Amino acid sequence: MNKIKFHPSEELLVGYASGDLNPALTVVVGTHIDMCPRCRSVAEDIQNHMATRELHQSAPLAEPDLNSMLEHIMASESPIVRSAKVHEQVSLEGKVFKVPRSLGRHVDRLGPWSHMPGGLWRAPLELDADSRMNLIYMQENASLPEHTHRGSEATLVLNGVFNDEHDEYRDGDFIFLDEHKHHSPQTTDEDCLTLAYLDAPLQFTSGLARLLNPFSSLFFR
Amino acid sequence: MQVMLEKRKSRQSMSSSQREPQEMTAEHLGQLLAEVADTRSRRAFSELFRHFAPRLQSFATRQFGNEQTAMDLVQETMTNVWHKAHLFSPEKGSPTTWIFTIARNIRFDILRKNKHRQNDVSAEDLWPVLSEETSDSDEEFALDTKILMQEIGEYYLQLPDAQRIVVEQIYIEGKSQQEVSDALGIPLGTVKSRTRLALQKLRELISE
Ligand SMILES: [Zn+2]
Repeated sequence: MNKIKFHPSEELLVGYASGDLNPALTVVVGTHIDMCPRCRSVAEDIQNHMATRELHQSAPLAEPDLNSMLEHIMASESPIVRSAKVHEQVSLEGKVFKVPRSLGRHVDRLGPWSHMPGGLWRAPLELDADSRMNLIYMQENASLPEHTHRGSEATLVLNGVFNDEHDEYRDGDFIFLDEHKHHSPQTTDEDCLTLAYLDAPLQFTSGLARLLNPFSSLFFR
Repeated sequence: MQVMLEKRKSRQSMSSSQREPQEMTAEHLGQLLAEVADTRSRRAFSELFRHFAPRLQSFATRQFGNEQTAMDLVQETMTNVWHKAHLFSPEKGSPTTWIFTIARNIRFDILRKNKHRQNDVSAEDLWPVLSEETSDSDEEFALDTKILMQEIGEYYLQLPDAQRIVVEQIYIEGKSQQEVSDALGIPLGTVKSRTRLALQKLRELISE
């Protein structure tokens, strides 16, 4: 595989490991991690640090509470874990694309492809009520009109190559644009499949701000 | 004299029990998990529980600020440890990290439970920790990049029937290997080996 040039920020990797990104962004970052040994290893480091730190301190639990919970657990039935079916590929217009597992687990949720002008296809991937994520396929010589978005946009190249006025992006490249950046993606003589996430300004749920701070010194130097 | 000895003994045992948390190495914790997995050892689980429950409680209280929700997280996390210890593997990380990821997932689901719909994705779908996913040997299964069906075209018709049917269902109908296994009533391993053989053959045919 070619070398990946563009990676998620450490802030995003921390949010991924702590569970504080929303589901859609979790899938985009997780799929990049599947494709990128470098970020896989950083994410593992972050997770280890986080585990050690978060489980360092003991709460003084009352002995009777502990004992009764312990008995209860050892008498319990095994919980049923529903596991998602992992698809290995998606197909469009007779073409079949292999997808990493972090995306393959959600292929059952993929909506129908719709054809858009300019050599583009789009299929929505809905993970929850407010997620906005699409697979976007650009055929050769396609272009997306220049656009701005009220909010941030994360794009992951799954297969192929596209470029905008800033750079060229290939398999595994992760591009994060905030609301102030514009760009006009296009393809030339190769087609491209991307996973694209759109959001209102990047929002983290409550826990992250707290989780982030101690890491700042470690990772954001 | 007798009394003094007793006293010394009890002091020693006291200080060693206080030191114990620091001596819980990853190896020792991993050993306990293995005992729970292999022999359902209640003693090993009790030791794990006494180590982790108060830590999870502290973590969860900081997260939720609510005693009852925190206790729910502790109980749910440790219930999974008791029943799913066989899913821990030391190659993938330390016992503390493994248990943290279980708790992280439970926290994620608790935080979303009230405001979201039934069909929403669960933490286990995002970070599988407890599902026993069949791990496909992705690399040998995949063609190098994307496959143009036009390119495969008539070549696949030259495959032996058993392989051709598998290739049709996977690459044309878009089924997963598991679905093909179910549809044809053959083991998953057979589907995989037929796919692999078929792809080898196709590569040869195309490059000829
Ligand atoms: Zn990366």
